[in-house]
This record gives sequence, C-alpha cells and structure tokens, in this order.
Amino acid sequence: MRGRALLAVAVALVVLAVALTRLSANQYYYFAAYVIFQYVVLATAWNILGGYTGYVNFGSAGFFALGAYTAAILIKAFPVPFPVLLLAAGTVGGLLGLSLGYLTLRLRGVFFSIATLALAVVLQTLIVNWEYAGGSRGIYTMRPATVLFFDNYVEFLFVVMLILALGALATARWIEHSRLGRGLAAIRDNEEAAECMGVPTLRLKLVAATVSGALMGIAGAPFPYYVTYMEPASTFNLDYAVNSLAMPMIGGATTWVGPLLGAVLLGTAQQIATVTISSALNLLIVGVVLVAFVILAPDGIIGLVRRRRGGRHA
Amino acid sequence: MRAWGVVAALIGALALVAVWAPRAVAEGPIKVGFGMALTGGVAGNGKAALLAIQIWAEEVNKKGGLLGRKVELVYYDDQSKAATVPGIYTKLLDVDKVDLVVSGYGTNLIAPALPIVIERKLTFIGLFGLAVNEQFHYPHYFGIMPAGPSPKTDWSAGFFEIAGRQNPKPRTVALVGADAEYGQNALAGARENAKRHGLQVVYDKAYPPATVDFTPIVRAIQATNPDIVFVASYPPDSAGMLRAAHEVGLKPKLFGGGMVGLQYASLQTALGLMLEGVVNYDFWVPEPTLKFPGIEDFLKKYQERAKAAGVDPLGHYVPPWAYAYLQVLGQAVEATKSLDQQKIGEYIRTHEHDTLVGKIRFAPNGEWVKSRVLMVQFQNIENNSLKQFGEPGHRVVIYPDEWKSGTLIYPYAKAKR
Repeated sequence: MRGRALLAVAVALVVLAVALTRLSANQYYYFAAYVIFQYVVLATAWNILGGYTGYVNFGSAGFFALGAYTAAILIKAFPVPFPVLLLAAGTVGGLLGLSLGYLTLRLRGVFFSIATLALAVVLQTLIVNWEYAGGSRGIYTMRPATVLFFDNYVEFLFVVMLILALGALATARWIEHSRLGRGLAAIRDNEEAAECMGVPTLRLKLVAATVSGALMGIAGAPFPYYVTYMEPASTFNLDYAVNSLAMPMIGGATTWVGPLLGAVLLGTAQQIATVTISSALNLLIVGVVLVAFVILAPDGIIGLVRRRRGGRHA
Repeated sequence: MRAWGVVAALIGALALVAVWAPRAVAEGPIKVGFGMALTGGVAGNGKAALLAIQIWAEEVNKKGGLLGRKVELVYYDDQSKAATVPGIYTKLLDVDKVDLVVSGYGTNLIAPALPIVIERKLTFIGLFGLAVNEQFHYPHYFGIMPAGPSPKTDWSAGFFEIAGRQNPKPRTVALVGADAEYGQNALAGARENAKRHGLQVVYDKAYPPATVDFTPIVRAIQATNPDIVFVASYPPDSAGMLRAAHEVGLKPKLFGGGMVGLQYASLQTALGLMLEGVVNYDFWVPEPTLKFPGIEDFLKKYQERAKAAGVDPLGHYVPPWAYAYLQVLGQAVEATKSLDQQKIGEYIRTHEHDTLVGKIRFAPNGEWVKSRVLMVQFQNIENNSLKQFGEPGHRVVIYPDEWKSGTLIYPYAKAKR
C-alpha cells in the first residue's frame, strides 16, 4: 500500500511540474529546481554504494562529468533524440562503475576512496587531451530551438530532471527493500561475517557500483543542454563530489529518504546563498553543516528523527 | 488517502508561489543585471570590474540617470563557475526583472549566458571573452575586448609582425601555453601567425594548468634554441615562466606575447626588473598616445577606492573596459531613447561609440572591426615600485603603429639586465 501511495505522489509531482510550466513563465525557478533535482539524483546514486554498502566514493564528479561528456559528444556527432542521451550516459556510467568495482572493490575503507578520487583525475586528463571532446578549450552544445509539448527547453529539462530524480529514488527504495539491499547492509556492517553467512559480497558490491555509476552518468546527461558550454575544470568540479557525499550524510545515509532530504535542504540553501548572501559561503555552508552532522548526528536527519521517536536505530 | 493530502498540500504551495511572485514595476530605476566572479579563480578581475561598473553607475546617476531614470545595479557572484551562470541570468530576468544585462568576466562565464540571451533576443555585451560568438553568430552580441574581427589570430598578430620586421629576420619560434581554454586558443592563433611569417616552429607544447615548476619546460625550450618565444600563460604561470627563464638564462630575441597577468600591478611589482625587455600584449597602458578623454579621471576615482575594495591598485587592465562596456550600452539607450533591445542592439551594431578606451566600432560578428591588441615592451624598469607602472615610459607601445609610443629594444638580451 505504501509503495502505491508513493507512486501516486510521484505521478502527482510530475503532473504538477508539467502544470507549473503551463502556469508560470518564470524560468529562474526551473533552473534552480533543476540543480536541486540533479543533486537528488547524485546524492541518491552515491548513497547506493556509500550509504547502503559503506564504500565511500570520492569520484562522483568523474561519473557525472563522464555522463555529461558522453551526451555532449553524442550531440556533436549525430542528431540523437534525448532519451538516447540518457541511455548512453547511463550505460557508460554503469560500465565505468562496474569496471571500477572490478578493479577496486577488493580494497576497503580509505583505499577504495583514494582509488575513486584518482579515477576522476584520470578521466579529466583523458577529456583534456581529447580534441574532439573540446579538450581543455571546452565544448559548446546548442539547445534545440523547439521542443515537443513545452514552451522552451528549460521547462523540458526541469521536468526531465524531476522524472530522473523520482526514478533514482524509486531505484534506491527498491534496492533498500530487496534481498540486494539486505545483502548490502550486511556488507556495510561486517563484510567478513556477511561473506561467511553466504552473502556473495563481491557480486553485490559490483551491482551496487554499477547502479550507482549509471545513475550518476544519467544525472550528467542533460547537463550540456543546461549549461551549453562545458570545459573540464568546471565539469569535473570538486563541488559535485563534495555535495553528493555531504547530502546523504546530512539527510541520513541508510535510507532512500536521507539523500532526498539532504539534497533538498542543502541544495536549496546553496541556491539561496548564491543569490542572497554572496557566496564564498557556499561550500563553507556545506562544510560546516557536514562537520556538525558528523559530530552531532552521525545518522543524519533521519537518525535524529528516529532517536526522537526513541525507537529503532538504523 | 494520505497521498491525496500531499497532492493538496503541493497545489496549495503552488498557489502561494503564484501569489508571492513579484510583479513587474513599470517605472522606477533602470535595472542593469549581471553575474560577476567575486569569489573563485578569476575573482581578482571580477571584483575590479565590479568597482568600475559601480563608478559608472554613480556617475550616470549624478548626471540624472538614463532616460531620466536612475540606474540600479543588480548583480550576483557567479563564483567563477560556469554552472551558476544560467541560474543567475534567469533570476535577473525573471525575478529581478532587470531591464538590461551585461556579461560577467571571461569566456567561461559569458558563454553559458548566451543561450538565455539569444532566446529572449536581448542585447548583450561581453567583458573579455575570446571568440565567444564564433559558435552562436548572434547579431546582438558584442565583445568589448579589442581582440579584433578574428580574435584568435589577431591576438598574437602584433608579436609576430614585430618579429617579421627585424633584420635579420628570426627564423625559428617556440610556442608554449597553458592547456586550458585561453592557452589553447592563443596557441592556435600563434601557429597560424608563425606560418604566415614563415617561421619554423621548433617547440609547440601546452603544459597542464596546475604546473608550478616551469624550469623543465624552459630548459626544453632552450634546448631547441628558438629565435623567439611566444608564451600564452595564465597569471600564476606567467610569473613562474618568467622566473624560470631568468634562472635558466633563456635569451631568445623576443620573449612574451600572450602572458596574462603581466598587466596587473601586483605581478608587475612582484617581478620588477625581471620584466625588462619582455614584449607582451596589453589593451591600455598609460602612454601619451592612448590618453582618451575621461580615462584619467576614471582611473583616479578607481585608484582612490581600489585599496578599500581589495582590487588591483592601478586598474589598467580590466576596469576601463568594464566601464566602457556599460558606457556603450548607456549611450545606446540614450541615443535610441528606449529600452527596446532590438533598437539598442541595432544602434550598437551600426554606430561608432566614443568611450574612455577610445572610439569603438563593431564588426558583424560583434568583435571590434579592427584589432587594437597592443604589443608593449617593458622598458626602463628601475625596481619594484608601484609608482613607475602608473607612469608613461615603462610599458612602451611598439605595435600597432597607430598607437606607437616608443621603439623596440631588440634583441631581448640587450634589454635584459
């Protein structure tokens, strides 16, 4: 029943979003919401490997940028329809997650994290030296002048990102409540014990890494159309890695609601900070809030709420 | 049932947003909106530009504003990040309802605003973007930077022209630059110019933007023994490159060309004597040939406030242009007596503009109809004092002939002490 209610909410949200684009011509809110939804996808994706399984990925920016560049290169090469971009970016991200998993998931703790950080650097170097992808000069992507059903492209991107965010949340929720999720939780709590109990740890970790990578790649796919000009330094920006890690930590890393809460709260705070109190403060907000949460509420907002209720712990 | 509660709440929230949405105000100040890098990598230039823009607004308001209305600036920090730009410009246009927009500083931060500007058919003047409109071909985009109708090659044309005039003519060239947007564009142009002048390229490499030690690069250049060396570097690298060249004892006949940062007072005073003899691009220097009406007054005002604002103390590089791009826009508004973007754009495209950086006429692609990239040589540098760089005779204009204010000391080694 709960699942069906959530589905109703999701459908209602999409309908509302589309209705909103009919009502309001104020594009700023679409741009701002787009960024927040993008972070919902990234945070949820990070959480599948980082929160459920306990493997901290510092390379989110690499996955995100790879998705974005996959899309940009495809757009440059052929006139591909939008869904193909999503599919391609997801596939490339997923494959990268899988291969990264094969190479590094035997490493534990901080060693795995270092490997993921290195991955982002390697990918950035690759793009910098790839002339067709714009190299260090950057690549321009022109938005199509018209788009079916919507008045302008921004509204379309906004609705697409909302659907992607909902899709990512549904995936995370499904994983959490499946055999897979329980296996991942067992790995997080004690990998050796899980292995002894017959949990196929490597295989589960590979699935988690693949799904996580694919979602991050998909999050990057609409980015070329959003920003229209990408160059490696800003596309591989550390912000994406920091935010996609901080958001689940702040929201609560053990459930699908955590990254959603974290992304909405932190993403909104950042958007507001950008246009009000000008914003060296921007990453500082993330840093301070993150430190505060790690010390005071290691299980995030969800953990706090649960503790209040005096009940079960994550 | 609960789900429908949520739906109802959402619709309620939507209604609230609709009620709160700000409405356009018909009269009141004319709002000029822009994003500017006030933090991050290019904040030094962004903050200096902001000060210049504020001085422009104050002066205009003192004279009664534009079309009899006061001018109000609405700006946000783009953090030197391209991804913030689309959000900022839609906020400016949709929420703040600005009447006019201009760009932030630099190619990376101009390009992401263009699709929004084009979609709404606005007039847009860019501050220091290199060949931005090459992709868009938008008729109402204008670049205030005097890079000329073909920016990439015009950028270094003067450097190679100077080399070509020497006797005996240099035969080999080393090209080196940062592996980033500016470095690569400048190098691409330099290659064409080298070919045009029949120079043999003996070294052609880009270094990663994070490079800190330039000694190996300079040694590699020295090993090829080039007659001239063209460098397209960002500010920290320009200092590193020059220091390394001195350490290694690199003595080509001509050195410099596209080094960003040597125009800043902070780097000039830090490098001091090391600058002697370097030939580098510039857009405005305090030479007698470039004393346009208004520039001295402006710089005086700027320099008085520079310290408090924490920006470049002399302000020769970006600030006059930041003032000028609004001057052009303001003049167009006054001349057309309207805020109609089409009329303003058309006026800017078809008229000559008298600004504090000289007379400007734009080519069909929005760039200056004729390049005014100066090649200046650092001469008579005494020490590290700031004062000398504010005076004529230390950055002598060698090229173009129209603005020439001195003669080249050649070869480089003769000037270098």
